[in-house]
Amino acid sequence: MNKIKLLKKNIFALSKAGIYNSKNEHDACGVGLVAAIDGNSKRSIVEAGITALKALWHRGAVDADGKTGDGAGLQLAYPQEFFKDYIRSLGVEPSKQNIAVGMFFLPRTDLFNQEVCRTIVEKEIVNIGNKIYCWRSVPINLDALGQKANETRPEIEQIFFENSKNLNEVEFEKELFILRRKIEKRIPSDSKKDFYICSLSSKSIVYKGMFLAEQIDVFYPDLNHKEFTSNFAIFHQRYSTNTFPTWSLAQPFRVLSHNGEINTIQGNTNWSVIHEPKMFSEKLGENINVISPIIQTGSSDSAALDSFYELLLHSGKELPMIKCLTIPEANYKNQKKQVSDFYKYCNAVLEPWDGPAAITAFGGDWVIAGMDRNGFRPMRYTLTSDNILFVGSETGMVDIESTKIVKKGHVPPGQLLGVNLKEGKFFSPKKLKKYLIKKNPYGKWIKRIKNFKSIVKTPNQKTLYFDNQDLKKRQIVSGWNIEDLELILDPMVLEKKEAVGSMGDDTPIALLSKNYRGLYPFFRQNFSQVTNPPMDSLRETNVMTLNTRLGNLCNILEENERQCNFILLDSPFLFTGEYEALKKRLKDKSKEIQCLFNIKKTSENLEKSIKKIQLESEEAVRSGVEHLLITDRKMNADKAPIPMVLAVGAIHTHLVRQGLRSFVSINVQSSDTMDVHTFAVLISVGATTINPYLVEHTIYDRYKKEIFNIKVLKALENYKSAINNGLLKIMSKMGISVLSSYRAGYNFEAIGLNRTLVADLFPGMPSRISGLGYQEIEKKVTNLHSKAFNEDVISLPIGGFYKYRENGENHYYQPNLIHTLQNAVYTNSYEKFQIYSKGVANSSTINIRDLFEFKNVKKEIPLNQVEPEKNIYKRFGSGSMSHGALSKEAHETLAIAMNRMGGFSCSGEGGEDSKRFIKLPNGDSKNSRVKQIASGRFGVTANYLNNCEEIEIKMAQGAKPGEGGQLPGFKVTEEIANLRHSTKGVTLISPPPHHDIYSIEDLAQLIYDLKQINPKARVCVKLVARSGIGTIAAGVAKAKADIILISGHSGGTGASPQTSIKYAGIPWELGLSEVHQILVMNNLRHKVSLRTDGGIKTARDIIIASILGAEEYGIGTTALVAMGCILVRQCHSNVCPVGICTQKPELRKKFEGTPEKVVNLFTFIARETREILSKLGFKSINEIIGKTELLRQVSKDNISVNTVDLNSLLVKAVSQYPVYSTIKTRNEVPETLDKKIIVDLLKQQKKQQVKKSSLKYFIKNTDRAIGAKLSSFIINNQSQFKKKQKIQIKLEGSAGQSLGAFLVDPIEIFVDGDANDYVGKGLSGGQIVIKPTKASKFVPHENVIIGNTVLYGATSGELFANGKAGERFAVRNSGANAVVEGCSNNGCEYMTGGKVVILGKVGENFAAGMTGGMAFIYDVKNILHNFINDESVIFQKVEVTYWQTVLLDLLKKHLKLTNSSLAKYIIQNWKIEKKKFLQVTPLEILDKLEHPVLIQNKEELEKKLA
Amino acid sequence: MTVKLLQFVNEKQSMPKKRTSKIRLEDFKEIYNNFNEKEARKQASRCSQCGIPFCQVHCPVQNNIPDWLKLAAENRLKEAYEISQSTNNFPEICGSICPQDRLCEGNCVIEKGFKSVTIGRVEKHITDTAWEKGWVKPVKPPKEMNKSIGIIGAGPGGMAAAEQLRKKGYQVMIYDKYDRPGGLLIYGIPNFKLEKYVVERRTQILKKSGIIFYQDFEVGKTKPFNYLKKKHDAILIATGVYKARDLNIPGIKLSNIFPALDFLIASNRKGLGDSVPNFDNGRLNAKKKNVVVVGGGDTAMDCVRTAVRQGAKNVKCLYRRNRENMPGSMREVLHAEEEGVEFKWLSVPINIFGNKQVDAIEVAKVKLGEPDASGRESPKILAKDTFKLKADMVIKAIGFHPEPLPKLFNHPSLQVTKWGTIKIDHETMMTNQPGIFAAGDIVRGAALVVWAIRDGRDAAKSIDNYLSKNINKEETKQFASL
Repeated sequence: MNKIKLLKKNIFALSKAGIYNSKNEHDACGVGLVAAIDGNSKRSIVEAGITALKALWHRGAVDADGKTGDGAGLQLAYPQEFFKDYIRSLGVEPSKQNIAVGMFFLPRTDLFNQEVCRTIVEKEIVNIGNKIYCWRSVPINLDALGQKANETRPEIEQIFFENSKNLNEVEFEKELFILRRKIEKRIPSDSKKDFYICSLSSKSIVYKGMFLAEQIDVFYPDLNHKEFTSNFAIFHQRYSTNTFPTWSLAQPFRVLSHNGEINTIQGNTNWSVIHEPKMFSEKLGENINVISPIIQTGSSDSAALDSFYELLLHSGKELPMIKCLTIPEANYKNQKKQVSDFYKYCNAVLEPWDGPAAITAFGGDWVIAGMDRNGFRPMRYTLTSDNILFVGSETGMVDIESTKIVKKGHVPPGQLLGVNLKEGKFFSPKKLKKYLIKKNPYGKWIKRIKNFKSIVKTPNQKTLYFDNQDLKKRQIVSGWNIEDLELILDPMVLEKKEAVGSMGDDTPIALLSKNYRGLYPFFRQNFSQVTNPPMDSLRETNVMTLNTRLGNLCNILEENERQCNFILLDSPFLFTGEYEALKKRLKDKSKEIQCLFNIKKTSENLEKSIKKIQLESEEAVRSGVEHLLITDRKMNADKAPIPMVLAVGAIHTHLVRQGLRSFVSINVQSSDTMDVHTFAVLISVGATTINPYLVEHTIYDRYKKEIFNIKVLKALENYKSAINNGLLKIMSKMGISVLSSYRAGYNFEAIGLNRTLVADLFPGMPSRISGLGYQEIEKKVTNLHSKAFNEDVISLPIGGFYKYRENGENHYYQPNLIHTLQNAVYTNSYEKFQIYSKGVANSSTINIRDLFEFKNVKKEIPLNQVEPEKNIYKRFGSGSMSHGALSKEAHETLAIAMNRMGGFSCSGEGGEDSKRFIKLPNGDSKNSRVKQIASGRFGVTANYLNNCEEIEIKMAQGAKPGEGGQLPGFKVTEEIANLRHSTKGVTLISPPPHHDIYSIEDLAQLIYDLKQINPKARVCVKLVARSGIGTIAAGVAKAKADIILISGHSGGTGASPQTSIKYAGIPWELGLSEVHQILVMNNLRHKVSLRTDGGIKTARDIIIASILGAEEYGIGTTALVAMGCILVRQCHSNVCPVGICTQKPELRKKFEGTPEKVVNLFTFIARETREILSKLGFKSINEIIGKTELLRQVSKDNISVNTVDLNSLLVKAVSQYPVYSTIKTRNEVPETLDKKIIVDLLKQQKKQQVKKSSLKYFIKNTDRAIGAKLSSFIINNQSQFKKKQKIQIKLEGSAGQSLGAFLVDPIEIFVDGDANDYVGKGLSGGQIVIKPTKASKFVPHENVIIGNTVLYGATSGELFANGKAGERFAVRNSGANAVVEGCSNNGCEYMTGGKVVILGKVGENFAAGMTGGMAFIYDVKNILHNFINDESVIFQKVEVTYWQTVLLDLLKKHLKLTNSSLAKYIIQNWKIEKKKFLQVTPLEILDKLEHPVLIQNKEELEKKLA
Repeated sequence: MTVKLLQFVNEKQSMPKKRTSKIRLEDFKEIYNNFNEKEARKQASRCSQCGIPFCQVHCPVQNNIPDWLKLAAENRLKEAYEISQSTNNFPEICGSICPQDRLCEGNCVIEKGFKSVTIGRVEKHITDTAWEKGWVKPVKPPKEMNKSIGIIGAGPGGMAAAEQLRKKGYQVMIYDKYDRPGGLLIYGIPNFKLEKYVVERRTQILKKSGIIFYQDFEVGKTKPFNYLKKKHDAILIATGVYKARDLNIPGIKLSNIFPALDFLIASNRKGLGDSVPNFDNGRLNAKKKNVVVVGGGDTAMDCVRTAVRQGAKNVKCLYRRNRENMPGSMREVLHAEEEGVEFKWLSVPINIFGNKQVDAIEVAKVKLGEPDASGRESPKILAKDTFKLKADMVIKAIGFHPEPLPKLFNHPSLQVTKWGTIKIDHETMMTNQPGIFAAGDIVRGAALVVWAIRDGRDAAKSIDNYLSKNINKEETKQFASL
C-alpha cells in the first residue's frame, strides 16, 4: 500500500473512533511582508519576498522524506502584464482593464471530477457575464517535491477572465469574492476535498504548496520571471502538527497570513454563527446568503480568521479597522482616552479573536502587519531609505545594506503598521492608530453604553428566598457536602482566592464515582500546551477582561453608535439583589424560565422538561423578550432542578439553531454553582450572567453562625472576587484574555456523558468515551433529591472528595494498602507486595483502565523466556519532583535508588546541587539522570544541562496543566535559594508558559538549543493528556524530541488550586492511546519513545500502559509511599509529618526512606510485570506495545459496556515501521556555526598561546544558538580552557534566535548588527555585546536591536545592547547584568536576580512578579509610574551612593563596549542625569539587601509591606 | 476562624489535668478534669488534617475526626457536635472510655515524634458542651412508619440501633433484663471512667425520642421469644456476653473468688444508691483486703482500680504476658499504677490455697514463645519458677462467654457458632431466622463499647434495608393484584 493510501486508511479508522479530528491540528510558522511604500510594483519586491521566505525554513518542519514541507507560499500583487502577455501569446488580445485571475487546485487523478470542477468554474464566471480568456496549466517543477507532497499534489491551474461589466476595482473584487463562494458551494461533495481556490482576484495572486520554503521558485518557475513584479509580497512558512500534506492549508490565504494560534477559535466560530442572522451590509445586499456560512466547517483557525477578514473587507471596512475589531489592543490604564474609547467601541461590536497572532494581510488599498494583545509572536520591521518596508518574524531575513536602513523596530503588542499602497504612504503603529481613532466619534458613541452599576445601586442587598431549614435540603440537592463548604467555599470567602491543595487526584473520574456530585465534574477544563501559551492571570491581568455585554447584539457589519446600546457588567457574576433589580427593571423585556421537573409525575421527565424549556425560551424570544432569566430556585419536595449546565446548554444551542441567540441574553440563577469550575462551565456553554443564589444564602448562614470574622457584605464581595480571579485563571489556561470570546466556546471536554446528549446540547465538545444519558442523569438527580427531602438531616454528608474519608468518595491510595505496600518494601517481601497488588486490583473501579481485562491471544510461556528484570528497570522513572517540593533527603534517596537500578530520576524544576554530579565513594550517585527545564528555569545553567543524559521540557503538569506555580518565601531556605539562584525567604514564581515557547516552532527552537548545549542528551517533552494531544505530540515529534511524556490528570503537585487538581486534564489512558495511534499514523512513532505517568501503582498498570502505547513509565507517588509517604496531603503547608515534602529541619529528621525500599518497590513491579508477560505469552515489553487486542472492556460496578465505549482506546493505526522507538541515541538536529567555531578555536589555540582567542564570522538569521555548543565543549573540556583566557567571537549581521544561549564564562560574543529572540537565554556567565554596524545611520537608542524574551532564565553573565529590546526583556533573569536602551512590554517580569539598566522607555507592566534583583530606569519623561506594575516592587530615585556607583559602573562598561552615544551623554552629565534614574527594588528583598536602598516615603513603604 | 491548624510542630500535646492519685482514691469520680475552651482549641489545632486520616480509619465507628477537630479548633462546637453525632450515638461516652491509644490516637499520623492529638478528650469536650448548651435533642423522625422493631438488650449496641431506627421513623421497643437501661455502660464500667449520669441522660433522650424501654424483661422468662417475633416486624438481639470464663486450677471453688462482673456490678449499684446485700455484708467489698485480680484486659483494669478505691489493703494484677502484649489500654495501666496497683507480668495462677475461703494464690512465671495466630507471643508456663501471694479476694477477669441463647429463648433453631455466639450473615447481620438480626458482643464476643455501637448502627441500616425491601415487595404485589 502506498504511504498516502495507508495514511488515508488510518485517518478514516482513527476519525471514526473519535481519536483523530482535523480540528485539532495546529499550525504555526514564520510570516512577513515586503512592500514598496510608493506603491509601485518592482521585480525587487518579489525577489525580496522569495529571499525572506527562504530565510524562514527553520520555522517550518520537514517530513521524513526530507522534501515534503508543511507548506510555504507567497501572496503577490497580480502582475497584469505578465499574464496578459501569456494571453496574447495565445492570440487573444485582453481588455485594457485589469483582468481577473483565479489560482486553482483541482482534483488531479480523478479526471472526471477535474472536468466537473472546471465546468462549474466556467459556468459561474459566464453566469455573471464575464468573458473567459483561457485556462493555464501553471508551470511546475516536480523535482522540488517530496514523495508525499507529490502523491497529494493537486492539478494547479489558473483561469483568466475579463471584467466585462466594467466594474470599478472595489466592485469587481467584491464580485469575485461572491463568485468564489458560489463556485465553492456548487462543487460536488466528492470533489470538495481536492478542490481549492488559492486566490481569485484582479489584484493579487497566491502561489503556495507543500514544498520546502527554499524550493518555492524552483517549483513555480513563474516567480523567477523578470516580468513578474509586485508592490508587495506576503510570505509564509508553515509548521504543522500533522504530517498529512494538505495543500490548501498552506498560507497565505486570500487576505491573511497568520503565525500563531487563535485560542478562542471555537468561541469565535460559534459567535460568527450567532451573528449571522443579523448581518446585513448594503454593499453585499442579498449576496450575504451566498457567502454564508462565513466560516466553513473544517477550516483551520487561520483559514477561519481569513474568511472573517474577507467578509468584513467586502462589507466595506478598511483592513486596519478589521485588524482592530478582530484583534484589538488591550485596554491599558494609561492609554490616551481617544484610543481607549476606540477600543471600547471595537469590543462593543465583536468578540476578539484571541491568541498568539502575528498577522500580515492584503486587501483594498492596504497591506498591514499586526500583533496580538500579548505580543506572543515576534514581528520586527525595517524601513529603508529607498522606501521599502520589511516586516517579519525575524530580523535579517533579507540582506539590506546597512547604510540604507532608516529605522528598525518591532510591532508592539496589539498594534499594527501598514502601507496604503494607493496613497504610497507608510503608517507606523503610532500613526496608524491616530488615523483609526479619528475616523468616527467613538468617544461620543460609547457614551451610550450603560454601566451596570449605574442601574443597580445596591448590589448585594439581602435577598434571601427561603428559610434556613430549606437551606440544607437545597445544599444536598446541589450535591454539596461539608468538605465543599469548609475546604472550598470558606477560603474563597476569607482569602478572596481559591483553596490550595497538594498531591494528585486519586478519586474516580465522575463517571465511575458512586457519589453523584452534580454534572460539573464530568467536564474537564481545556488548557494550552506547546501550540499556544497559557497566560498569567495574576501578573498580566492588564490584558484580560471579564467585561460582559448585556443586551441585544447588533449587526457586526455596521459601524455606528447603535453598537453601543447595551449594559456593561464588569463580570458575569450577579448577586441576588442585582438579579432581582435587573428583573424589575427589565420587566416585560425579560422572562423567567423555571428549570425544574416534577419527579412525581410520570408524564414529566428530565428530557421532556429540557425540551419544554427550550420551546419556552424560543417563544419568549420570538415575542420580544431580550433577557432570559433561567432559575431553579423554586425547587421543592416535588420538583427537582434540571442540572443547570444541561438547561443552559439546551437553551443556548436551541436559540443558536433557531437563529435567535443574538437577540437575547441568558442569565442564570442556579443552586448548583459554587466553585470557579462550575461558573466556567456555565459560561462556556453559553450563559451570559450567573447568580449563585444558594452560595449567597450559604454565606449568609455561615456569617450568622459566626464562622467568618468579617462582615457579610465583605464576605460576599470576597467570594465574588475569588470567582472573578478564578475565571480569569481558567481562561488564562487556554490563553484567552477576554471573557466574551471564551463564552460559548465549549472550552471543556466531557468525560462520561452520552455522545448524543453532548452533540445535542454542547455541539463541538469532545466526548470520547460516551457515558450517562438523560435517563441515567435523571436517576442520579432524583436520588439526590430524595436524600434531601425524605430524611431528617442534621449534618450534610462529610465529603471525602479532596481528602479521604471512610464513608466518602473512593480513593485509589487506600489506607490499608499503603500499609501493606510499606510493609512489603521495608521487609523486602514479594509475597506481601502481591497482597498489595491484589488489593489494588480488587478495589473498586476508579480509573478507566479498571474497565479493562486482559485477553489471552497467545499461550502462556515459561517465565524464564521473558526478558530479565534489568531490561525492565531502565524503563522506570520516579516522576519529576523537585528538591524544593521534596526534602533534600527524599530527593537524593530517590536519585540513588533509580541510579542503582539504571532507571531514571528527575531533578524537577529547581536546579540541582553540583556536588551531586560527582559519584559517591560507594559507587552510588545522587545525580539525577534527567534534568528538567520548566517555565521558571530555576537553576538551569550550562553546567546543570551538561550533567545529565536526558533533558525534560515540562510543558504542563498533570495536577495543574496550563498554570504556573509559586514557591512561597517560607519554603525558600538557604539551600533552596542557592540552587535556584535566588534569595532566602523570597517568593519564587514559575510563569504559566515557557516564555520561549508560544508556538510549536518555538518548541523546536528550544529543543534545538538544548541539543546544542548538550550534544548527547535526549530531549523529552512532558505533556498532559487532553483531547487533541495526538496532533500536538506529532508536532513535538517533528520538532525532534526523543521522548514524549504523557501525564495523566491524576499527577501530583506540591501545591495547586483544588479545582485545577480536580478538573483539568484527562486520564492518561485516553491521552496515551491517542498519541500512540496518531504517531503511528504519521510514521513518527518509531522515532520517539513514549512515556506515561499518573497514578501507576502495579504491574497491571504497566502492562496496560504498554498495550496502549507506552514503553517507559513514571512512578512518582507510589515511590514516595515506598519512602514513607502516607498521603497526608499537606505538601503545600511545609509540615509533612514524615519528612518527605517539607523543608523544616525538625520534620526532615522524621524521614525514614532508604534507597533499598525504593529499589524493592521497582524490583517487585518489574517482577510482577514479567509474570504477567509470561501469562500473556510475550517475551518482552516491546512485543506488547500497541497490541490493543490484548484488552477487553468489561462491565463493572454498574458501568456497563453499553453506556461507556472504550473503543477509541483500542482502535489501531497500521504502520510499516515498528511501533516503539528504534532510535538508539537521539534524533539529531542540523549543525550550527559553533561546529566551525570549535574547529577554528582549537586551530587558533594550537597555533598561538595567547591570552585570548578571537574569531570573526558573518552571520544570518538562520545561524541560531550561536555559542551554545561551544559552551558545552568548554564545560566538558575544562582542562583546556582557563577562565581568564577570554574567547572572543566577533560576528557581523543579524544573529538567529537564541544568540548566546547558555553561554559560559570565558566566551564573549560581539555582534555588529542585530539579533532575534531569546538572546542570552539561560546565560551562564558569558558576555554578549550587540551594537549596530558602524555604517548604519539611524539613532541606535530609537531602534530595536534585540528581539523578545532576552535573558530568559539567565543565571549569570552580562549583556550590553546599543538599542531597544522587545517584549519580556530579562524575564525570569536570576543573575545576569544588562544594559539596554529601552524595552517593550512586561520587562523584568518574574525577575529574581541580577541588575538591569534600561536607558529609555519601558513598555506596559514593567516588573510584574519581580521578586529579586534590581532595575534602573532612565526615566527622562517621568512616566515610569504609568508603566510599572508595583504589586511586588517599589521605585524611587537612586539615592544611595553605593547604588549610584553600581549604576555608573555598568554605564561605563556599556559605553566602553558599545560606544553608546546615549551612555556617553549620561556619563558626561552624570550629576544631572543621574537624577533622572529610578531604581526599582522588589519589596521582599528590601530587608535582605547588604546595601539598603533609601526609601523616600517610609510610611508608604510600611503600608505596602503590611 | 483565625485559628490555624497543623500546629503540632509548635504546640505540645497536653491532656487535661488529672487529679492526683491520692485524691482520686477517695471517690469514684472521673479522674480527668475537662479541657477549658482555650486548651481544647489549642489541642484540636494540633491536627495535621491528613489526606488519609488514619485516626478515622482505625475508629470502629469511623468518626470524622479531622473534621470535628478543625471545628473544635475554630470553636464551632455546635457544628462539631453535629458531625460527631452523625457517626456516633454516644460520642461523650466513647470520648471517655475508648482506649484511644489503641484506636484513633494510636494511629494518629503525628503520634510518631510529636505525640498524637488528644482526640478523645476533645470529643468529650465537644459533647459535654453540646449537653450543656442543649444541642443534644431527641430524634424527630420526618414521618412515622407503621413497622416496629424489638431490640433485646439495652446496652450500647441495642441503644445505638434503636436511635438509628427511630431516625427513620420506625417504632422501636427495647427489652432489657436489668432494672436500668445501659447494660455494661451502667453496671460494668466504673464511675471513674464513666459517670453514670452520662449514661442516664442518654437513655432519657432515647425515651424522649419515642423509644419504649421494657426493663426487667427476660426473654424466655418474662415472655417467650415468639411473643416478640409476632409483635415485631424485625428483631435485633443485642444481649452482650455475660458468662464469665473460668479458671481451671485447684482451689477455684473456694469462696471469695468472684467473676469480675459480680464485683463490678455490686460496686456500680452501690454508686447508684441501690442496696446490695453482698456488698454490705462485705463479701464483694475489697476494703482492707489483699486483692488479686487475674487478667490483663480492660475489665481487669476496672476491677483493680475499683478495688483500690474501695480501700483494699493491696491490689495485685496477674497477667500471663508482658506489658507490651497486654490487650487492655496502656493508659489504664498507667492510671492503675499511679493509684498503687501492683502488676505481676508474665505470671499465671496455678493453685489457690485456703480453707473454705481463699487466703493465698500460687503463681508461676511464664516465658513468651513464638507469636501465635493473633500475632502475640504465646505464653509458656515455667512450672518450676513459682511464688506465692497472699490473697483475701480473687477476681477472675479473664473474659466472657456468651450465654446459651437458643436455650434461654427456647428457640433452638437460632443458629450459633462453636463459641456460642450467634451466627449471622455478615453482609446483612441477619441470623438464620428471617427478620431476626444480631449485633454486638453476642456476635463478635466480648469487645469494646465502640464496636457495639458500630454493630448497632450497621444492624439498623440492615434492618431498614430489609424492611424497606419488604415494603417494596408488598407494593409490587399490590400493583400485580390491581
